Amino acid sequence: MRVVIAEDSVLLREGLARLLADGGVEVVAQVGDGPGLVAAVDAYRPDLAVVDVRMPPSHTDEGLRAALEVRERSPGTAILVLSQYVEERYATDLLAGGAQGVGYLLKDRVADVGEFLAAVHRVGDGGAAIDPEVVAQLLGRRRRADPLATLSPRELDVLSLMAEGRSNAAIADRLVVTEGAVEKHISSIFTKLGLPAAPSDHRRVLAVLTYLRA
Amino acid sequence: MTVEQVATGGPGGGTVGRALAPLRQVRTLTATIYLLLSMFVGLTWHVILAVGLTVGVGTLIIWVGVFVLALTLLAWRGGAWLERRWVGAMLGVQIPDPYRPLPDGSLWRRARVLAGDPATWKDLAYLVVLFPLGLIWFVVTTTVWTLALGLLTAPLWYWIPADGAVALFEDGDRSILVLDTLPEAILAGVVGAALCVAAAWVVRGMAIAHGAVALALLGPSQNQLQARVEALQASRDRAVDSAEAERRRIERDLHDGAQQRLVALAMDLGMARAKLETDPAAATALVGEAHEEAKRALAELRDLARGIHPAVLADRGLDAAISALAARSPVPVGIDVATGRLPDPVESAAYFVVAEALTNAAKHAQAAEISVRIARHRDLLIVEVIDDGAGGADPARGTGLRGLADRVAAVDGHLTVTSPPGGPTVIRAELPCGS
Repeated sequence: MRVVIAEDSVLLREGLARLLADGGVEVVAQVGDGPGLVAAVDAYRPDLAVVDVRMPPSHTDEGLRAALEVRERSPGTAILVLSQYVEERYATDLLAGGAQGVGYLLKDRVADVGEFLAAVHRVGDGGAAIDPEVVAQLLGRRRRADPLATLSPRELDVLSLMAEGRSNAAIADRLVVTEGAVEKHISSIFTKLGLPAAPSDHRRVLAVLTYLRA
Repeated sequence: MTVEQVATGGPGGGTVGRALAPLRQVRTLTATIYLLLSMFVGLTWHVILAVGLTVGVGTLIIWVGVFVLALTLLAWRGGAWLERRWVGAMLGVQIPDPYRPLPDGSLWRRARVLAGDPATWKDLAYLVVLFPLGLIWFVVTTTVWTLALGLLTAPLWYWIPADGAVALFEDGDRSILVLDTLPEAILAGVVGAALCVAAAWVVRGMAIAHGAVALALLGPSQNQLQARVEALQASRDRAVDSAEAERRRIERDLHDGAQQRLVALAMDLGMARAKLETDPAAATALVGEAHEEAKRALAELRDLARGIHPAVLADRGLDAAISALAARSPVPVGIDVATGRLPDPVESAAYFVVAEALTNAAKHAQAAEISVRIARHRDLLIVEVIDDGAGGADPARGTGLRGLADRVAAVDGHLTVTSPPGGPTVIRAELPCGS
């Protein structure tokens, strides 16, 4: 997999590059701001861009805006946005164009190297990776009388992991159950929430997130 | 004002230049127009007020009068409002509106505040004295200008009539002053020129006098200004204090939290390094602990930074920031934010009002449901946080609410806490947000 990194802190940029290289990912370019990212993606057409939200010159959501521009110009490039803070609102912006090849993670997640590399590969392969904190915010928002209350605790766990963009196998692995059990939970969740069954993982993420945001 | 002072330093300079200055300034012209018109404006208000008040009082018995009087009151407040702008434009005296803010709620409540506001009655006094004052200004202005311009143009008139004589100050058939020679006419012109200068000064003097009357009756009173200065001083002092307290809190949080974790992390790594060769298993465990410690330090730093100023507030505004707050609240929160982007200090104050209120409601009030409403009402941003908890919140005791009141006062806002025992608690902030 070929990756471009956009991150203004040199320390973190070098660290990320090393971490990705160790994980067998080819880093083709490293840039430090939004316009640099757009130019690098145009030049290299990478499989994935790893982007920091806060970058010069504005130090606000520069990276996010550049990421959205990249999405428009180069649909083949997946986007993984890293941020010091995760907020549901940014996730909403990012997912407006679909959940295919989109990731949005807290920067801290880099510390769990294995998990992080898995997320990088998942997003690079067209999947999704949504930070558990965003999912928690979304779940937390809907605690008034709503269909979520009818879910069992285990089903809520499965729903959260689905919303993070994980596959059935990954969910089964995390909850230490069989894939068959996960499938049963998922069909039960979709029935209870009145969602149509989704054929692919990324469609499923989008369906779940859309439901949680509504 | 400064522009006019610069103008006096123009060509001519010195005493003569200064004496002639009013003649060259546009302000003299606008003041003349104002002084001439003020009598008619005053007369109009006399008629409106006389009709409105007599009809109102006369029909008070059949209730129609209340309506008529209310309309008259609104009309004269409107008149005073217009007059402030008119005086500002023509006389250059800027008068701020001195009115008390109108409350929300019933028509009756608002009417009581309107009628109880001293500014309302001073407005009335101004409009009443405007006519007699205007009469004086009109007579003096017309007299000085006709005299001055009449004499100034005497040499011109001298040429026009067939008999070569100009009569000034006719009294019936008898002319008191007749110019029948050219030198006399020229002399009259010179006197007229001098009178023009005098007229300009007289007009400016009257403009200053009228400006002073308008400022006294239409502007905020000394007491109001004094009270405002004191309130600002007090709120500034408290804002400085609370900023100081905030800095101490941040220092303590950093010291007790992230810093301790980083120390522990460095220690774990140091020990792991020492054991790397001799006891690889223990070293691995220590590195694992250090890893966990580092992640916890990161989480703490993130929370601390968010407490100082949430990034999402700066990037996306109140709606997004309040949504994020609500999502983190352990108690379900209903949100209704109806406003776009506002000045940073206002957004910040509104955000911290909601943040503190949510924390209180969850921590002390055992609320089951909280509702947050933010809406713009003319120049005010109204922030309301209502919970169905135990009530009994007292701003005098809790430092949180007190600090909040100061934060709100620092942007010239107003915080009210209604929290009867048994609830519900309503925390309401009114924040001025410009127009």
